[in-house]
Amino acid sequence: MASLRDIKRRIVSVKKTQQITRAMRMVAAAKLRRAQNAVVAARPYAERMRAALVEIARTQQEAEHPLLIARPSVRRLDVVVITSDRGLAGAFNANVLKFAGRVIQEGESTGGIESVSLTLVGRKAGEYFRRRRPTQIGEVYAGLGTVTYDQAARIARRLAERYTTGQTDEVRLVYSEFVSTLNQSPRAVTLLPCQAASDEPIPEHLPFEIEPDAATLLGALVPKALEVEVFRALLENQAGEHAARMAAMESATRNTEEMIGSLTLKFNRARQAAITRELVEIISGAEAL
Amino acid sequence: MPFELSIVTPEGTAFQDRVSSVVLPGTEGQFGVLPGHVRFLTPLAIGEAVIQTTQGSRYAALSDGFAEVRQDHVVVMVETCEFGSSIDVARAERAKARAEAAIAASRQSTHDENLFRIEEAALRRALNRIAAAKNDRQI
Repeated sequence: MASLRDIKRRIVSVKKTQQITRAMRMVAAAKLRRAQNAVVAARPYAERMRAALVEIARTQQEAEHPLLIARPSVRRLDVVVITSDRGLAGAFNANVLKFAGRVIQEGESTGGIESVSLTLVGRKAGEYFRRRRPTQIGEVYAGLGTVTYDQAARIARRLAERYTTGQTDEVRLVYSEFVSTLNQSPRAVTLLPCQAASDEPIPEHLPFEIEPDAATLLGALVPKALEVEVFRALLENQAGEHAARMAAMESATRNTEEMIGSLTLKFNRARQAAITRELVEIISGAEAL
Repeated sequence: MPFELSIVTPEGTAFQDRVSSVVLPGTEGQFGVLPGHVRFLTPLAIGEAVIQTTQGSRYAALSDGFAEVRQDHVVVMVETCEFGSSIDVARAERAKARAEAAIAASRQSTHDENLFRIEEAALRRALNRIAAAKNDRQI
């Protein structure tokens, strides 16, 4: 049986852990709120952009853009994987990474695809694939901190460049979709070629004047639409990260409570046992006299 | 008869109100929008937006983007939109000096076309912010 002092020490240590997990939960909650606001704030811009792109693609059939044209045969595939920089967020990163692994494998086993190259966003993705697929890693973006549009734009521009120069024939993006605070699920989307066509209901529209012409407009619009897509994924990943960490820290705090409870019980029992033992000793000592 | 103007950026909606007119920096030159303007869509260059509201004129520095003019609703999609009053002029001046130095340096040594374009855009943004700040203060 553990001594009283040992149990006491354990209780103190678990309490300290609890303080940490509780603080982390609070921090994650505050960051989550901010991250969610950012997701909501970005929505009107993303939607307008998308609507404009869809409208032009629909009304100006002859307008073309290199990022819109699908390659007849895909030989080189790029997979972009987005994770967080930090851990202690439950299975958040593990889920995305496992899913990404499947996407990559699927790509590799598809006929015609000769090579898969990875673009990794977030330190966790970097660490994971550095061990598993060191030769396939292209660019790594890590330690970005709070997501900004500039970062998304940088990543998107690089991908667009790879696509237009023929270094890749298709770009897929794997990230965590922020479904709700309790649910983040990994998701894969095709980034390039850009999908201008959509099944969304056609908005009521009058003939549109376009200045100076559709090609120029598309030339400016398509890269922006790609940036927005990457930006959205980064924001959702960020919100998901904080939500997952909040949930993980909440259950960790609950576990420490349970542990403290059972340790306290053990402590009290041991204390009572010690008292009883002492009493028995005193009584038997007195009797012996 | 005023119309609705919204300026949306990736960071959020920067402006949304009814206005009587707006002047925007199109890539083919500035253009003004009055109520009842024909529907059209155009890219925007880095430049200044002049918004006429019932309270007077507002000046905003826009980065490049697009404008969509609908019957009674104008949507401006830009990466950044800063109203003159909220612009940090000292910071813009520093950005201007930095961009100028970078351009001067790139002229001498490496002739990196890409880098030059990036710095040129940075310089244009800085000048634009300074101008908008000046105009917005004058009211």
